[in-house]
Amino acid sequence: MPSPADKANDAPALEVIRASRHFGAVRGLDDVTVTAARGEFLTILGQSGSGKTTLLRIIAGLDHPTSVAALRIGGKDVLGLPPNKRNVTTVFQHYGLFPHMSVGQNVEYGLKLRGVGASERRTRAEAALATVRLTDKYDRRIHQLSGGERQRVALARSILTEPDVLLLDEPLGALDERLRLDMQIELVELQRRLGMTFVFITHSQEEALTMSDRVILMRGGRIAQEGTPRDLFERPCSRFAGSFMGVENIIDGTVADFANGIAGIATPAGIFHGLWTGVEPPRVGQAAALLLRAEKLRIGTTAFADSFEGRITARIYKGKYIDVAMETRVGVIHARAWTDEDLTSDTVRIGWSAGDARCVPAEG
Amino acid sequence: MLRTTLILFIAVWAVFVVVPVALLVLWSFLEMKDYSFSSGLSTAAYAAVFDSGRYEVTLRTLRIAGLVTAIELGLALPFALWLAKGVRSSMLKAMVLALLTVPFFISLASRTIVWRSVLSRSGLVNTALMHFGIVEQPVDWLLFSEFSVHLGLLAPSFPTMVLPIFLSISLIDDELIEAARDLGAPPAKVLGDVILPLALPGIIAGIIFTFVPLLGETVVPQLLGGGRVSMLGASISSLLQVLNYPVAAALSTLVLGILAALFIALRLIGGGSIAAVFEGMKR
Repeated sequence: MPSPADKANDAPALEVIRASRHFGAVRGLDDVTVTAARGEFLTILGQSGSGKTTLLRIIAGLDHPTSVAALRIGGKDVLGLPPNKRNVTTVFQHYGLFPHMSVGQNVEYGLKLRGVGASERRTRAEAALATVRLTDKYDRRIHQLSGGERQRVALARSILTEPDVLLLDEPLGALDERLRLDMQIELVELQRRLGMTFVFITHSQEEALTMSDRVILMRGGRIAQEGTPRDLFERPCSRFAGSFMGVENIIDGTVADFANGIAGIATPAGIFHGLWTGVEPPRVGQAAALLLRAEKLRIGTTAFADSFEGRITARIYKGKYIDVAMETRVGVIHARAWTDEDLTSDTVRIGWSAGDARCVPAEG
Repeated sequence: MLRTTLILFIAVWAVFVVVPVALLVLWSFLEMKDYSFSSGLSTAAYAAVFDSGRYEVTLRTLRIAGLVTAIELGLALPFALWLAKGVRSSMLKAMVLALLTVPFFISLASRTIVWRSVLSRSGLVNTALMHFGIVEQPVDWLLFSEFSVHLGLLAPSFPTMVLPIFLSISLIDDELIEAARDLGAPPAKVLGDVILPLALPGIIAGIIFTFVPLLGETVVPQLLGGGRVSMLGASISSLLQVLNYPVAAALSTLVLGILAALFIALRLIGGGSIAAVFEGMKR
């Protein structure tokens, strides 16, 4: 291989620098920078309309940014290139399998376009089908396959051309729950085995947490937070990030004090404390929110400085725990009781260690 | 339920299709004597078709209809592709489709007769050509020629070609086109490997809906052919006017045979893949 290719091999698999995409007055993507290292499993997380699909289409070349500083795939500048000139492939939401071709013809289509001979195509397609556990399905028609099998055919087709980046557009959304959980594990194993760079688009925080090396949380065309799954779960940087990552109890207030990383939030029920995880240090009087995960709340104990009383309004049996809803001076609070003994009276005191609560700015 | 529907369909189909066709074929083997059918079977009517030059009319009709169909296909494919996948605004799409149907508001004869004032010796085209000094004498072959018949047939047949193709291309999921591009297909390959095979049912429907009515067309050859371009429709009409039913029936049977052969050929080209396309449409 000549030296430019060697040089390209050291480059990140994906670099999208300061990309924006405007649809009329709407900023579908607003000054977003995303990079992925080689072999990384990067997840773009967000609701519909957050810009995650726009970002994917810009990387694939199916859409073009209104403005961008740089767009490189495998170190190669691909700005303005059509999809067929980019070394990325996409696993589409509905798989995008060609109904008039057999499974084998679908899988080897990328190789056919690259002028690979029929017998080599077949060998490699069968190997790729074996990789996704679909041995002996080469001659099947697409409509004879189940949803999960179609998913795997789409995967085999996309990895066969050895792209620098594999884009996956909510590929698990159409599968039922059991299959979805299996495919999560299978996808991660496949990614590790191939050492390929995966950019995975999803709206499910659970998929993002369990599968990714790194997560980028998007909102309104901008990046709300990025980091490891642990960062996003343990240290949300804003009220939105906390809420999106599934924090059950969010109490709004203002910053009352701040010392040693612990902020006090003034709420209608008093001042409560938690670890400040905002990007900037807090200013006293700033609008902020206290994030309390249900499983971190302790019921019926007076051991903590931060606590308040609540009246139990619902007990929902969940098997491993009991989801307890209670009416408090700061609204409805959800907590988890692990045994029935915790729930002997209707009025209980709930408390938490300041290190288990999070305080974040209300905006941003 | 399915059985009942199928039996009903076959019964209706038999009454309205099989019986007339069987009678037509039977008539073609009869002879006329004093305005009534004779009792014995004969092939005299077929002999008459070949002797009277009506065979040449058949060939000419097939040639004209075939060429017009081919031109329509060439025009309709890019147009349908543009309308189905290029036009994003559904407003504009609806408007273009409505514009396509406007010609049907006026009768074919009225629309066709206008060509005369465009193509005649003192018509629009010749006046312009002579005005700009491109020709000295008016061009003769513009009107009352095969050229004018072809031209006159083009516009009325366009919608029947475009609409089925437009529908079948519209049904192709954008994701399939994007998947092909994503896997490395340049535009020509996207067209050849994905769009055309999936649009095949529409293309074949368009060919049949366009070609078959062209075979029976009478108005345009009469008005723009000026008696020099005789086509099948007029030929059969004139036979019926002189009550020569057996020869009219023989000529019709011949055309039916040619159509059957064409249909079988089309099935051989696209039959298997059409079934696959319909299977594939099921998500």
